[in-house]
Amino acid sequence: MKLTGTYRLAAPPARVFAALVDPDVLQRCIEGAERLVRTADDQYDVHLRLGIGTVKGAYVGTVRLTDQQPPDRFTLHVEGKGAPGFVRGSARIQLTAAGAGTVAICDADGQVGGVVSAVGSRLLDATARMLMDRFFERLGAEVR
Amino acid sequence: MSTIVKEKVGYVGRAMKRVEDPRLLKGLATYVDDLRLPGMLHAVVVRSPHAHARVRRVDGAAARALAGVAGVFSGADLNAHCGTVPCAASMPDLKAPKHTVLASDRVYFVGHPVAVVVAATPYAAVDAAEAVQVEYEPLPVVVDAEKALEKGSPLTHPDLGTNVAFTWHLAGGDIDAAFKNADRVVRQRMYHQRLTPMAIEPRGCVASFDRGSGTLTLWTSTQIPHLVRTLLPGMIGIAENKLRVVAPEVGGGFGSKLNLYVEEAICSYLAMRLGAPVKWIERRRENAAATIHGRDQIGDYEVAVSNDGTILGLRNRTIADLGSYLQLLTPAIPTLTGLVLTGSYKIPAVRMDVIGVYTHKMAADAYRGAGRPEATYLIERLMDLVAGETGQDPIELRRRHFPKPQEFPFPTATGLTYDSGDYDAALRKAMELARWDELVGRREARRRDGGLFGIGVSTYVEICGMGPSKAMMAGGWEWGCVRIEMSAKVTVITGATPHGQGQETSFAQIAADRLGVPIDDIVVLHGDTSIAHYGRDTYGSRATAVGGGALVMCIDRVVDKAKRLAAHLLGARPEQVEFQEGRFSLKGGAGRDLGWTDLAAEAYVAKNLPAGFEPGLEASAFFEPENFTFPFGTHICAVDLDRETGKVTIVKYVAVDDCGNQMNPLLIEGQLQGGIAQSIGQALFERTVYDENGQLLTGEFTDYALPRAEDIPEYAMGATVTPTTANPLGVKGVGEAGTIGATPAIANAVIDALRPLGVKHLDMPLTPEKIWRAINRR
Repeated sequence: MKLTGTYRLAAPPARVFAALVDPDVLQRCIEGAERLVRTADDQYDVHLRLGIGTVKGAYVGTVRLTDQQPPDRFTLHVEGKGAPGFVRGSARIQLTAAGAGTVAICDADGQVGGVVSAVGSRLLDATARMLMDRFFERLGAEVR
Repeated sequence: MSTIVKEKVGYVGRAMKRVEDPRLLKGLATYVDDLRLPGMLHAVVVRSPHAHARVRRVDGAAARALAGVAGVFSGADLNAHCGTVPCAASMPDLKAPKHTVLASDRVYFVGHPVAVVVAATPYAAVDAAEAVQVEYEPLPVVVDAEKALEKGSPLTHPDLGTNVAFTWHLAGGDIDAAFKNADRVVRQRMYHQRLTPMAIEPRGCVASFDRGSGTLTLWTSTQIPHLVRTLLPGMIGIAENKLRVVAPEVGGGFGSKLNLYVEEAICSYLAMRLGAPVKWIERRRENAAATIHGRDQIGDYEVAVSNDGTILGLRNRTIADLGSYLQLLTPAIPTLTGLVLTGSYKIPAVRMDVIGVYTHKMAADAYRGAGRPEATYLIERLMDLVAGETGQDPIELRRRHFPKPQEFPFPTATGLTYDSGDYDAALRKAMELARWDELVGRREARRRDGGLFGIGVSTYVEICGMGPSKAMMAGGWEWGCVRIEMSAKVTVITGATPHGQGQETSFAQIAADRLGVPIDDIVVLHGDTSIAHYGRDTYGSRATAVGGGALVMCIDRVVDKAKRLAAHLLGARPEQVEFQEGRFSLKGGAGRDLGWTDLAAEAYVAKNLPAGFEPGLEASAFFEPENFTFPFGTHICAVDLDRETGKVTIVKYVAVDDCGNQMNPLLIEGQLQGGIAQSIGQALFERTVYDENGQLLTGEFTDYALPRAEDIPEYAMGATVTPTTANPLGVKGVGEAGTIGATPAIANAVIDALRPLGVKHLDMPLTPEKIWRAINRR
């Protein structure tokens, strides 16, 4: 499953970038992230609670940041598994200055497996879109 | 009490309501999940979310630490004790993966059992199952059976070195000559989609071990308690005579419970190991992922036709997508397709080449019809395609290829001998019920108005009454017992294990007539191997055709024995005794007569028996059928398509079925009604979908489109009666006919409706989207 989105944020790229690599901000922005614990440079253990379609459940996994080129771009990887199956995805985020603000282009690729795929697949694209929109909406509030 | 027959008219042939129904309708039936045993533990299976992965680690420590958990078991704990899942179908070149009860180092489909958690309550077991940590390393996946045959494809089972499970060939007549002499060859590629049986009651079992006697009882929602008793000992190492298998009320099987599954072996083994009863109840999502699927064949079909429209031969190459494992009959299903490939037609030459292919999916196996729906669909679609390409009327094309009634027993090019039939009589009757000319007029009128109206026909024949033992791996006989109790009540026992088909009613009707006793005095028992000692159970529409044969043998034996006793008590020779409507008297009508009450009392009190007469009044019998049976019929379907949305409305449905002599027309109608509903599901809605990663996308009723009540039209139903000689009742079987006969009639109707747009073929399911795209060429 692939999806892309373009978001406008009311802060310059440097500030947006700094927010995106801050674990506290990340936790507040990632939907359902109940806990985010740093385990290494640019790597965190994450506890997620998510509902996809009719399947609600807890996932334990990792968040990793790679390919960092401040303040222009980086890639965010999220991986989690739990009783409903697994979720796995990465998002390439490109930041471009636009006036006083930033345009963020997000290019995401995700995969789910197990029950979450078997009973939620029709809602998956919509859910993923919703999760991405929420992420940038919250990020926008953080950097405003 | 008196044994005078209350009903002068026989019970057989009457549309009697099912004796089974009151308990089912009132919620008084006992299903597996209703069983509650003291100290019973609850098992939950941890399943793979990956279609193919290496299992690096199974860690049950966190689960074990939870309250109420009695144990967490991985493949390393159980596989050495539980053997492998048996497959009862063999092929000379069959390559079979080792099918252990839990994954060893790899998983091969989404839903593959990896670990089992046992706890004091179902809730604790579910929570603990979520706490089991499994580390997977995903591996390359293959889900498309055609791609699985390509060079360089990922392998389903790398250790087998190939995705080809087996090849199978069927040839009859001179196929090369047929195609050499053909004026025209009609070709079509057809895909017979994968289906999920979706019985209302998912699977489940309870195993209980009696440590004192060393006996194990397994209650399981199965069609085949006897086959489970035959096969399970080989898995868990218990002696056959220390195993009792009980199929209590079963909420639907359709072939999906014609299997021995890993959970049955796991619960049985754990009950012995833990010394406590273990219950496992399958959840709906597990049912969709880890109970067998059906169908899934793709093939290229070719028909050799002469200029005058005569069909000279039929050949095809079929790829059967087996999924990742062999269940009980997996490789046998496409061979059943081959056997009835020529349908109800005289086609002198045939060739079928089957390749069975492994993919990372759940195993495919017998689903209602099992191989015959595939055959019937393809031959009935091909008849329409041939008619279309040669400009013939589809009805006349069918008719001219029917064997005539006097040509039966009819040998087919596929090597079968059809027992009896009058195919044209069923066709005529169906056309009459459908008011054929009026229906055709309606189609023409709708077409003139720009409407999309189609008529489809299927003149099917199928194989039932499975079957002669020489054709069945584990024997194809059936066992029964009839006992006149001391009180003259009658106990009928059958090994045929009905589970919804209604033999508690029809067998009582047969026994009541033949013994001359009131039907209320009869109880029919089944489904418990400690009562029905032997049996070959219910599948392949065999319970009445084969089980009924055993019933008749038992009744004849009991009556013979009773005659000998009556002769002794009447002071005559057995051959002087006449038996009529429950009374034993001397021929010529003189003197007193005796009833079952008199004879049963004497037989068990045993004070005044003839010399050498064994006390008691019971007989058991094994009935061996001489052949399969071949029910047939004609289904006619008319549809109206919505041009804007592609939605199909079935405006008329006519079914004329010939299942030989009818024991109870109501049961027959019920079987057909349900079967046709499942056909509507396959033709218009249902498809089991895996994505390219092997993820199952149709894991629940929200995503797997079963037909709903509003999708089922009123059927006009009729019958012809052509008895078989394969069994003493002359019955052919009807459990699968609806699912076999109806699907092509519906598909043919939809494609006929699209014919004015130039559409020749569409693969099922014929969803609104597919039809809309065909209409709009998009």
